[in-house]
Amino acid sequence: MRTVAYYKGCLASLSAKELDISTQALAPKVGLELVELERVTCCGAGDIHEAEPDYYLHLNARILAYAEETGSDTLMTVCNVCTLNLRQANFQLKGDAALLERVNANLVSVGAPAYSGGVDVQHFLWLVSAGEGYELLRQAAHKGLKGLKIAPFYGCQILRPSKLLGFEDPDKPSSLERIIEACGGEAIDYPAKIKCCGFPIIQAREDVALGELIQPIEQASEAGADAIVTPCPLCHLSLDAWQSKLREQTGRDFRMPILHLSQLIGVAAGLDDSELKFKRHVVSVAPVVEHLRI
Amino acid sequence: MQVALKIWRFDAVAGERKLVDYEIDAPEWVTLLDVLDLIKDQVDGTLAYRKSCRMMICGSCGMRMDGAAVLACKIRMYDIAQSGHIPVISAMGNMPIVKDLVTDMQPFWGKIRAMSPWLQPGYQDPGEKEFVVSEEQMDTIHKESLCIMCGCCVSECNSMESDPEFLGPAALAKGMRFVGDVRDHATVERLQEYSGQHGIWDCTRCYFCQERCPKGVDPRDAIAKLGAEAMKEGIDSDMGAKHAKWFVTSSKTTGWLRETELVPKTQGVARSLKEVKFAMGLLKHGKVPPPIPPHVAKDVDEARALFDLVSQQGRGGAAGIVQGEHALERLEFEQGGNPDRDPFGEGSFPEPFLPGQGEGEEEAES
Repeated sequence: MRTVAYYKGCLASLSAKELDISTQALAPKVGLELVELERVTCCGAGDIHEAEPDYYLHLNARILAYAEETGSDTLMTVCNVCTLNLRQANFQLKGDAALLERVNANLVSVGAPAYSGGVDVQHFLWLVSAGEGYELLRQAAHKGLKGLKIAPFYGCQILRPSKLLGFEDPDKPSSLERIIEACGGEAIDYPAKIKCCGFPIIQAREDVALGELIQPIEQASEAGADAIVTPCPLCHLSLDAWQSKLREQTGRDFRMPILHLSQLIGVAAGLDDSELKFKRHVVSVAPVVEHLRI
Repeated sequence: MQVALKIWRFDAVAGERKLVDYEIDAPEWVTLLDVLDLIKDQVDGTLAYRKSCRMMICGSCGMRMDGAAVLACKIRMYDIAQSGHIPVISAMGNMPIVKDLVTDMQPFWGKIRAMSPWLQPGYQDPGEKEFVVSEEQMDTIHKESLCIMCGCCVSECNSMESDPEFLGPAALAKGMRFVGDVRDHATVERLQEYSGQHGIWDCTRCYFCQERCPKGVDPRDAIAKLGAEAMKEGIDSDMGAKHAKWFVTSSKTTGWLRETELVPKTQGVARSLKEVKFAMGLLKHGKVPPPIPPHVAKDVDEARALFDLVSQQGRGGAAGIVQGEHALERLEFEQGGNPDRDPFGEGSFPEPFLPGQGEGEEEAES
């Protein structure tokens, strides 16, 4: 068992609880012991980074400091945006002693622990798509996806900027494909799998966002995908919940089921309904579940 | 060595587009641009592309290789040819194609012009002395000043695909170059203008611009700096700015994002009422978490105290982003394989050339 500090972020705490529940249920099967961080806040998404960047750095430093306090050298995330925010702050703090000193003085003066730079931020996808985690996943996913056609959707902030993320080639990623195949599914290829789902501007610029959102759903649908899988709860929310808006706007009803990565592996690893929580999805996942029952 | 390419040719008159295979013998040191020159010289003189300096400074030869925008003169072909991969070359995206690899840059220049890309000093004559701009002040716009306006960022912009009128990464980075310049006194007017419908808050944060820029401008960060400066000046009436503000409020009141209240806080109550039907659909599936009782993070008072503390430390606005740039540059340097050398330390810059130096050596070589 590898012990990692677990930062679930806002969405997995609230509207995407199914992500947290399935991740927690799956973790032991892929060799992960999760130590959930309790005294942490939102990472600020791109929003606090843009509105109050100095405060963004401090919020993320505080999360890193509490992660370090658990004694683990790894902070695991389940969201692309959290991953970029925390990795960016981490590199800024580790690479600049004067900056770290100032931030630490501020952290200590409000009663938080200081951060010494001892944590590496890793997305759940990275921990289970390579090395020992991947071997365990292959064993755990014994139930299999029975040839289900799955379209991987990476989202942006797990690939770009690659300087800060750097796990795989941002133009030709393969980690999701490896996992889909290990789970007995067939990975569908389509150009928009590395593009944006539009989520960051879906409230402020809905039309612009929907123009982005339709691309992966349309392309995956035309390529014959039974479902899309994504490692990001924000991508999940726009792909799943905003499909009805695409229907209103274009008259096309895609009914494309959208799975969280932990649910895709979870289905293949035999997690039960109470751990997968498919009822929490707006677009029905029933066709996928039925395919697997046969 | 043999170098093979596939090129998307386009004839605007006939409206025909076709993928053509080329293979040519080339020296091992060639760049993609050199290969295009050889093809044009030896195979087909009608192949059209832009070029000028051949050394990554004029910004003329932006094009796509395997779907990703590059400067043709920056791409060494040796490894690609040796691997056996045959790259597909095409014109940049988000711009109309004139012929083959040549795009119409008019929309690009129009947006650059819309930024009023010149200094508007507005200060009084300093008289006997001169104004001194410190290194720290210039640091704010160091990266934005590196832009060669090649269009590689614009080519890949996901928001611009959806909204062709979006000012986009190149123009907004140019805007930051003037907003962040201490000599410019039109900051507020600029920020108001850039915060409009197709401005700062149109950016979807896909980071394609940052990934593709061949000069390290990091346009997405430049847009974030503009957002931060706008908020600092109180220019926050756009829905994007209100959206960002609610994250700040949430983090210091309950710690976690107050998702359900985000919609009325961003769009206003009247507009959100139109979304009731949509929200009911989400509510059924637990996607609208009840705001009461709020989900409060343990020890959230620490976050609130941090906010109050840093607000008094003078790193507001773009400075909060600029302060982290040196560390991130260092990171790139380390990934380049030289962890021991400090890129900003003593002796890390080449000695300046002085007239009369090194002349003897050159003569010896020739």
